Amino acid sequence: MTTVLATLAAIAALSAAGSLPVAAAVGPRWFAVPTAPLTGAVLAAVAATASLTFGGALLTWFVGLAVVAALVVVTVWVLEPARGPWARPSTRGARRLTRSRKAGVVGFLAVVVSCGWSLRGLRSPTVGFDARALWVMRPGWFLQTHAQLLIDMKTRGLVLTQSAYPPLVSASAAVAWRITGVHTARLGVTTIAVLNACALSAAALALVELGRGVAARTGPDPLPGFPPPGDPVPGDPAAGGRPPWAPMVTGVVAAVLLVFVASGVTEPFLTNGYADPIWSLAAVGAVAFGLQARSGRSTRAAAAVMILVAGLSKNEGTVTAVALVALVGARSVGWAGLREGRRRWGPPVALAACELAVLAWWPLLMKAIGSRGASSSFTASTDVASRTSAVVHGMSPYLHVLVVALPLSVLGGLVLRAVRRRGGVGNDLWAWLALAVGLVAVGGALVTGSGAIGPWIRSTVHRITEYPILQGWWIIAVWAVVASSGVRGGPGGPAEHLPADRHAHQDGGPDGAAVPGPPVGASR
Amino acid sequence: MHTVVVTAVSCLVAAVALVALAGQAVRGDRTVGAQLSAHAVHDASVDDAFYRCIDVQAHSLVTPGRTVALSTDNLADLVTMVKGFGSWVTVADPASRADISLTLRDDVPGPGACLGTQVVATSVGPDGRTTVRVGTGAQVAGQGPPPAPPL
Repeated sequence: MTTVLATLAAIAALSAAGSLPVAAAVGPRWFAVPTAPLTGAVLAAVAATASLTFGGALLTWFVGLAVVAALVVVTVWVLEPARGPWARPSTRGARRLTRSRKAGVVGFLAVVVSCGWSLRGLRSPTVGFDARALWVMRPGWFLQTHAQLLIDMKTRGLVLTQSAYPPLVSASAAVAWRITGVHTARLGVTTIAVLNACALSAAALALVELGRGVAARTGPDPLPGFPPPGDPVPGDPAAGGRPPWAPMVTGVVAAVLLVFVASGVTEPFLTNGYADPIWSLAAVGAVAFGLQARSGRSTRAAAAVMILVAGLSKNEGTVTAVALVALVGARSVGWAGLREGRRRWGPPVALAACELAVLAWWPLLMKAIGSRGASSSFTASTDVASRTSAVVHGMSPYLHVLVVALPLSVLGGLVLRAVRRRGGVGNDLWAWLALAVGLVAVGGALVTGSGAIGPWIRSTVHRITEYPILQGWWIIAVWAVVASSGVRGGPGGPAEHLPADRHAHQDGGPDGAAVPGPPVGASR
Repeated sequence: MHTVVVTAVSCLVAAVALVALAGQAVRGDRTVGAQLSAHAVHDASVDDAFYRCIDVQAHSLVTPGRTVALSTDNLADLVTMVKGFGSWVTVADPASRADISLTLRDDVPGPGACLGTQVVATSVGPDGRTTVRVGTGAQVAGQGPPPAPPL
């Protein structure tokens, strides 16, 4: 079997495992397509963790988890037909959806094509250093016996302390190897690269959806209270007037540009088997769906998948994911939720608790079995100041995007705040908080770590800053979409004519508690 | 007046954001394209051939079911062995119980080596005799190490 065919088979298997849970939780949205294989990768990671915890073959756990998840979904659909795929959304105002649907289709195709083009680096047979030493070496361990896997993880003779890193990347490659029978580093690299592209396309499609949602709310005749109860058909103003082109076109253009930007930021690691791109891209996706898009069932589900992908891929991702769980939970509950009681804050808190449990399983297991690298590497060094200085100076040249993003955010926040609120876009302070968390997570590890700081920074800074860089560019792209809806004057243009209470209702930022409701996201 | 300000700022923000994104997108696409330069592809091919070579040599020395100890005398060689065949060998714990001890022999001239490196297996038979065997089945001409991939 060729590597191309084997990669397709592996992605098909991961997609099959994740498709039903995604169909149930996310629904018929364009961003559900790349979310399905990522959900399968999460299942692979959980399967690897369960296999190491309880014994049993990785593939048995993977198939078992996928079947259980599918059975749960089918049971829910049978018991509650209204939540099933046969429950069609209202076609009210369907004729007016043409523009929004076109934007959705064009956006999806454009993102897929640009992601495919950005994977052309795979034509070079590169396997990265760490990829060969860990990420696409460890899959073989996951396919050995339980007793041998324990030895591989624990024996000091193998020296490599990175063995304790979270399992998603290696587990996905292990599933690929097992299913196809092709046990090559190359297949691991190509499978990971496609998963990277899925995370990237999901984050980019969030921009497309954002543009469609902004257009739907800022049209010439928006309906007060839009969107209607329940997950709405996107761009369904249910009132006269078609959504304006500008935000939708800007969303598509910004999404495509973001794909190329992200590819440049993450190469060569996007296509050489490293885990840094997938956690960074997934974290950006988590912010996009969990902290910027309008809060709803679909976006919350997508955010949960992205958080798990980020947190199960690398240690920095785990720290960032835990913080994102807290931020998304805080946004979902909001001040109003705290006042309204358990019924209001219970579901978000329960979801957050489940996410934290999944995220904590692997690191706790590493501690429990005494894996290499699981013990703390924190230093008692007194040169914290000099290490901090080295980290700041090492990272600064890579964070020039903030020179553009920060002024844009300040200007936008001061002048276009009402436009942003009217478009249903979350306050970008959430995104800045998430960016800061990612920086602190990486910087903190470097400052408190025991390795020599100079070589450590020089050899890793271009990888470990991927997340804050990508987050910075995402913030810029969001402001492009928001601003495009404020360009028009007159009715439906700048939002200062809107009632203040409606602004407050739609805001999801730290300055205004989020209100539960349907997402901006779009159905096909 | 406020409408004019909002419109003007919207134009400015949208223009700056899209121009910045477009500029960085062009740079990003060039970065991706650089992965396909002849130099990068050549280095990746040599790296790939080297690790495939020592993998084949290790397979010629380790039969299924036999436990292995990877020599820790040289950290660089240990990492190379892990990268080359760490995914499939059955590592013994403790190492003293291993059926076979694997090491790398570097700077080997002539054929039969992977960029000058050979995989060497040392085992002790039931009679106490020590047997040293050299890996076979693959070679890559030249002297190593292979070009360093990005860290």
